[in-house]
Amino acid sequence: MRKYFEIKNLSVGFNTFEGIRPVLNIEELAIDRGETFGLVGESGAGKTVLALTILGLLPKPAGMIHSGEIWFDGEDLTKKSEREMANHYRGSRISMIFQDPMSTLNPVFTVGHQITRVIEKQQGLKGEACEKRVLEMLDVVRLSDAQNMIKKYPHELSGGQRQRVIIAIALSCGAEFLIADEPTRNLDVTIQAGILKLIGDLQKEFNISVLFIANNMGLVNVVCRNVGVLYKGKMVEKGTSVEVIHNAKHPYTQTLISAIPRDKSEKLKFASVAIKPEAEHGCPYYARCVLAEDQCTQHVPMLEAVHGDHEVACFLADRSNL
Amino acid sequence: MRWFFDFIKTLQPGIRELRMSFYLLNRNRLQRFSLIIIIALVLVAIFAPVIAPYPSHAISATNPDDKLLAPSAKYLFGTDELGRDLFSRVIYGTRISLQTALIAVGLAMLVGVPLGAIAGGLGGVADEIIMRITDVFLSFPPLLLAIAIAAFLGPNLENAMLSIVISWWPWYTRIIRGQAVSIRERQFVRAARSIGTPVHRIIFNHILPNAFAPVIVQASMDIGGVILTIASLSFLGLGAQPPTPEWGLLISTSRTYFLNAWWYSTFPGLAIFITVLVFNLIGDGIREVLDPRTRKF
Amino acid sequence: MKKFILRRLLLGIFVLLGVTLITFFLTRVVPSDPAAKWVGPRATPEQIAQATIELGLDKPLYIQFQKYLGDLLQGNLGYSLRTRRPIMQDLKENLPATIELVFISTIAAVFIGIPLGVISAKRKNQMVDHISRLFSVGVVSLPTFWVGLILQLIFFRILGIFPLGGQLSTQIKISMDIPNITGFLMFDSLITGNFKIFFNALWHIVLPGITIGLFPVGLVARMTRSALLEILSEDYITAARSYGLNERVVLWSYALKNSIGSTSTVVALSIGYTLVNTFLTEAIFSWPGIGSYIATAVIGLDYPAIMGVTIFSAFSYVLLNLVADIIIAMDPRVRA
Repeated sequence: MRKYFEIKNLSVGFNTFEGIRPVLNIEELAIDRGETFGLVGESGAGKTVLALTILGLLPKPAGMIHSGEIWFDGEDLTKKSEREMANHYRGSRISMIFQDPMSTLNPVFTVGHQITRVIEKQQGLKGEACEKRVLEMLDVVRLSDAQNMIKKYPHELSGGQRQRVIIAIALSCGAEFLIADEPTRNLDVTIQAGILKLIGDLQKEFNISVLFIANNMGLVNVVCRNVGVLYKGKMVEKGTSVEVIHNAKHPYTQTLISAIPRDKSEKLKFASVAIKPEAEHGCPYYARCVLAEDQCTQHVPMLEAVHGDHEVACFLADRSNL
Repeated sequence: MRWFFDFIKTLQPGIRELRMSFYLLNRNRLQRFSLIIIIALVLVAIFAPVIAPYPSHAISATNPDDKLLAPSAKYLFGTDELGRDLFSRVIYGTRISLQTALIAVGLAMLVGVPLGAIAGGLGGVADEIIMRITDVFLSFPPLLLAIAIAAFLGPNLENAMLSIVISWWPWYTRIIRGQAVSIRERQFVRAARSIGTPVHRIIFNHILPNAFAPVIVQASMDIGGVILTIASLSFLGLGAQPPTPEWGLLISTSRTYFLNAWWYSTFPGLAIFITVLVFNLIGDGIREVLDPRTRKF
Repeated sequence: MKKFILRRLLLGIFVLLGVTLITFFLTRVVPSDPAAKWVGPRATPEQIAQATIELGLDKPLYIQFQKYLGDLLQGNLGYSLRTRRPIMQDLKENLPATIELVFISTIAAVFIGIPLGVISAKRKNQMVDHISRLFSVGVVSLPTFWVGLILQLIFFRILGIFPLGGQLSTQIKISMDIPNITGFLMFDSLITGNFKIFFNALWHIVLPGITIGLFPVGLVARMTRSALLEILSEDYITAARSYGLNERVVLWSYALKNSIGSTSTVVALSIGYTLVNTFLTEAIFSWPGIGSYIATAVIGLDYPAIMGVTIFSAFSYVLLNLVADIIIAMDPRVRA
């Protein structure tokens, strides 16, 4: 019985000059209808690649899905043609909030024009009704002075304003599945809270599922029921956010949690850069792991249940109680 | 004298990249083909006297009984109105075209590059002055200035070459200056300046090696352009003069006869076309390889 | 925005001044006998002496330049040695025919070249792309004058379906009244309902039109393709696609609008090339425009005429680039 959204054994790589570079290797990721799933990982872990892969927007010919399935509402997205994705999924059923609003807003069109286009396409509104909706959306993301805002060009707005425009555009799609790629990155804390609440509200009202991508655990804890930790393209820990945060088993997860500003007396016992050479056939985290042992260099650990839904990919999971 | 060797040293990283680029170039079929044709053309130009079955001009070339003959085994491209073998004339024309193009482009670079390096490297007043002068020269439609200069200097091949150099140098200045300005603002140059490195050293050691790639691209595309320009000038009567077997001139002379002697216009034109084409293709290839953004990874 | 236009205008004026200086240099300073060049090879010594005084050649350079500049600003380009008329008048007469050709090549460049470049970029490395690229690079490698000759050879000599040259058949020129309202033959014949003339003119413009139009199409297609390739790899295109926007919209609106800068630049450049290619094309097709005017002038060593056309073309080109730069300034990023 498939879940609403399920990734199985997804392997994605980039074709570079020097050969194929593996970028994603996710055994399993499942999201229910109306659920918010948090994906945490540092820069370069492959979070945005995952988002693009789901939408079928990997740069061609460099990016390639080597194997795996992405199940969405009973259909395997990896098997869909470009046209099917464009007409039936992108925007209409799955939409994305992008990470960097400066590069993802078209510099030669006004902000108003860009939102209008999307509303026209996805909500089928025209003319006055459309204009009204544009202003509504800008209001929803707390952009003041919307009337003037719509005549401005992206470079005329501040970073925070651009971010909110991007969120407004993505929400204008009215999709049932939202991928939010670090949506609150450049926003100050109060607005951050507002956006998170907004997503939460939308979720409850329209039963939207959200894949919430972030690079710090604290954020994820607030909105997400379940959370997964991504390291170098591999899911190393998974479970409910409560469980993972209070009972993290993977060494990497623990470094992320210790990074949540809490008690300054906690000393960092982890390495944030490589302290030994990589293990080619072993655990991807080996180079930074302070606990690593020989067996970590020989096999790649797979996700194994530790406690109910809580899964970890580490040979030393039961011992890491730092 | 030492600055000359310094200059050569600064080109070294560029030359290494060039060699790697040639290797990469060879992987594409079309580029490889073009490279072969270019080498063939160069060989034809160098060994013209050996390859051409007949002399190209002077009395000895004319055969009054064989005027305007269609191509045959004896005269591969046919003959012209004086009975000269067109094939030999076209072969000698290769020499002229390649020679003048290389010299013209070389001289234009020699003038344009240092000016651009100075403008970009020094900035300030020197930059303004040089760039305004460049603007003025570049505001002439391509070829027009060459026509005017050639007309007033007197129509012959050397003046045509000179007029091309005068029209073309600003392109290089602009390219190098643009590169220089962006390089100048980079960290390592700022660092060099902060420790008091003299300007000329900055220009030579830092700016030039990094700025050279686009110049090479431009130059390779320009060789084709210059060949066309020289042919056009000669066609108008402003370049090579009879009896020089320059391709453009051949076509110009052919106008009187070509409706009944199709070979007379066709073969020289084909020669121009193929030569310019392969240089343009190689230029494309070099640009694809050297431009870091369009590289295949 | 206004400040930008003002600055650009000032630059334009400065450039025009520079152009004038260069042409002045060419006509008065460079030749060993500028007066003789002004009055022609068959002038008597008295005529040369008179020209020397007229041109102020005995006066210091800066006064000469003042006079030169003054003449130019009044529209006095001198007298053609061949037609013995003011060059300005000759140019006015010959201009419309050339503009017809330039017009055709610009239309071709914009409406064939740009779409070709866009489609080529979108379907990169597919068959369409390869053919289009080969076509583009081939076409810019062709010598314009040769194309004209070959077209004449094939379509006139061998196939006999198009005329050898000229704007109208001699028959028509002799037997019919040619309307002359704006000076543009095709336009005039159209608005006076003179369809026989119109179609005859149309028939005559085909070969020269193709000759002059090929290069701009290739040039613009190439540039547009490379500009589009860069744009299509930008994040905002991916984002637009993610919102489910129609690919046609993404390509022809979202992507293309970002290329206005480079597109106008290359169209202006192609017009510049066209201006000079008309010299070659008109000579071949006996097309009564500025091109044949200067081609004849070159052969006859009609220096005043040569310079007149040069100055005129240079000025037009500067103006053209000014317009192009202003269009580029419409890119909102530039205005910032």
